[in-house]
Amino acid sequence: MTFPQFALGALTLLPLLGAAAAVVLPHPARRITGVVTAVVIALLTVPVLVTVTSGELPELVLGGFDAPLGIHLRGDGLAAVFLGVTSLVGLILTGYAAILPKSTGTFLSATAWVPGHPGFWPLWLGCWSGLNAVYLSGDLFNLYVALELVGLTAVALVALGGRKSWEPALRYLFVAVLGSLLFLAGVGLLASVTGTLDLQQTREALGGLEDPTPALLALTLMTIGLGMKVALLPMHRWLVPAHSSAPSVVSPILSGLVLKAALVVLLRCWLWAVPVLAGAEWLTWLLGGLGTAAVLAGSVLALRQDRLKPLVAYSTIAQIGYWFLAFPLLLPGENDDAELASGAYGAVVALAAGHAIAKAGLFTAAGFLKDRCGTDEIAALRGAGAHHPTLILAMGLCAVGLLGLPISLGFTGKWQLATAAVGAEHWWLFLVLAAGTLLSAGYLLRGIAPLLMQAEVDDNTPAANPVTVRERTGELAVLLLGVATLATGLLGAWVSTMLEVGSWW
Amino acid sequence: MDFGMDTITWYLLIAAVMVIFGMVRLLLVRDLLARLIALDVTGIGVLLTLVALAARSDATDPVLQALVITGLVIAVAFTGLGAVLIRRIEGQQDDPPGGDAP
Repeated sequence: MTFPQFALGALTLLPLLGAAAAVVLPHPARRITGVVTAVVIALLTVPVLVTVTSGELPELVLGGFDAPLGIHLRGDGLAAVFLGVTSLVGLILTGYAAILPKSTGTFLSATAWVPGHPGFWPLWLGCWSGLNAVYLSGDLFNLYVALELVGLTAVALVALGGRKSWEPALRYLFVAVLGSLLFLAGVGLLASVTGTLDLQQTREALGGLEDPTPALLALTLMTIGLGMKVALLPMHRWLVPAHSSAPSVVSPILSGLVLKAALVVLLRCWLWAVPVLAGAEWLTWLLGGLGTAAVLAGSVLALRQDRLKPLVAYSTIAQIGYWFLAFPLLLPGENDDAELASGAYGAVVALAAGHAIAKAGLFTAAGFLKDRCGTDEIAALRGAGAHHPTLILAMGLCAVGLLGLPISLGFTGKWQLATAAVGAEHWWLFLVLAAGTLLSAGYLLRGIAPLLMQAEVDDNTPAANPVTVRERTGELAVLLLGVATLATGLLGAWVSTMLEVGSWW
Repeated sequence: MDFGMDTITWYLLIAAVMVIFGMVRLLLVRDLLARLIALDVTGIGVLLTLVALAARSDATDPVLQALVITGLVIAVAFTGLGAVLIRRIEGQQDDPPGGDAP
C-alpha cells in the first residue's frame, strides 16, 4: 500500500475515529481532539492532491474485497478538488470553533443555558468523515451511506442552536430523509437492472442495455431526491430556517460543505453511473430551467431580507441555481461535443468550490456579528464596521468570490460557463448570468453597506463593547477564508488539470 | 412461474401505494408525530420495492438485500433523531392548547 492509498482510507476513517473518541472525552479534551484531527486530515489531503496533480489515480480496495460487494475508494479529480476545499474550510472552521466555543451552540445544563455545546465536536467530525466518504466513494451503495451520515449529523448540528433551531432541524430531517429515500429507490432500481453497485460496472452494464426506461426512471428519482438535499428551487424552503437558525459555526459548514456533498453525488450519478440516455434531454432542460428560476428568485428574495443570516441563506439558494444552469450543456448532445461538456463540468466544479470557501466566510462573519450583538437585524448592526474592520474586509473579499469578480473561483466558473454557452449557442445563459450577478451585487451591498455607515446612536450599540483577544483571533479566521477566496482564484488552471484525472470521458 | 411474477407485481403495487400514501401524508399533515410516521411508511414502501425487486430471480439478489438492511438501520437512526426532536419541541410548549400534554 502506497502512502496516497493509505491517505484515502485514513481520510474517511480517521475523522470517524476522532468522533468516537470525542464522545467519551470531557468537553475541553474534545476541543483538542477536534483540532488535532482536523490538522491531521488537512495533512493527509496533501499526498492525495499531489498524486492527482501528477496525473495518477489513487485507488484503494478496502480489505481486498472487490466490486460489487467490496468498498472501493477512488481519488479522482472531482474527489481531489472537493477534498482540498473541504480540508481548507474545515480546518479554518475548526480553529474558529475552538477559539470561540460560543459559536458551537448553547447547551442546557442542570441550571441554565450555557454557551458552547460539547456535542458539536463528535457531530462535526462524523459529518467530515461522511463528506470525505462521499467524495471518495466508487460505488452507489457507499454514496448512499455516506450521504446519510452527512445528512443525519447535519440535522443534529442544526439542533445544537437551542430552542429556536429544533423546528427547522426537524423540517430539515424530513426533507433530507425523503430525499435520500428517493435516491435509495433509484439506486435499487439501477442495481436490479445491472446487478452491481460499482459506478464503472453500472455504466458498462447500462451501456449494453437496449431499453433506457429503467435507467431514466432511476435517474429521475435520484435527481429529485438529491434536488431536495441540495435545495434546488421548488424544494428550497427548508434551507433558510435551518441554515439561519443553526449555531454560527454550523451555518458555514452546512452552506459551504454539506450541500456540496449532495451536488457531488448528483454529478457522480449523471456523469459516472449513467451513460448518455436517449430520453434525458428534457430532464437536463428542466434542471436548467429550475436553476434559472433559483438564480432569479433566490436573489430577489435575498434582497427583501431584513436580517443578515437569512439574507446569506437566500444567497445560497441563488448560488445553487448556477450549478444547475450548466446541466443542459453537461451532456454531449446532438453535436457529441465532449469538449463543451467538460467545460460545463469544470464550470460547475469551480462555481461550487468557490462558493464553498466564500459562503463559509460570509456565513461565519454573519454568525460572528449575531453572536456579538445578540441580533442579526441589518438595521441594528448599522455601524458595526467601525469596531470590526478586519471582519468587514473579510466579508468584502468573500463578496468578491460570490459575485464572481476576478480573481476568484467564482469568476473562473462563470467564465467557463459563458465559454461553454457560446460554444453551444445558448445565449439565454448570458442573460441569466448577467442578471444573477447584478442582483447578487444588490443583495451583498444591502447586507454589507449598513455595517460601514455611521451608527445613528453613538457608542450605544452592542458592537461597541470591548473586543476580546479571542474574538480578534476569530475575526482573523474569517479573514483567512476571505483571502482563500481570492487565492484559490489563481488556481483555476490547476483545478482544470486535476479534473482530467479519472473523469468519465 | 406466471404466478410467481404475479406475486411480485402485487408486492410492487403495494409498495408503490405505501410510498404515495406516505409522501402525501408527510406533505399535507401538520402534526409532527404523524409526519414522522408518514416518513417511516414511505421508507418501508421503498424498502418493500427493493425486496420485491430482489426476489425476482431464483437466487435472491444479495446486492439489493444489502441495500435493504442498510436502509432499515438508517430508518431506525432517523426515527430516533426525529422522535427526540419532536419530544423537545412539544416539551417546550408549556401549556399546549390541544390538551394532550406529555
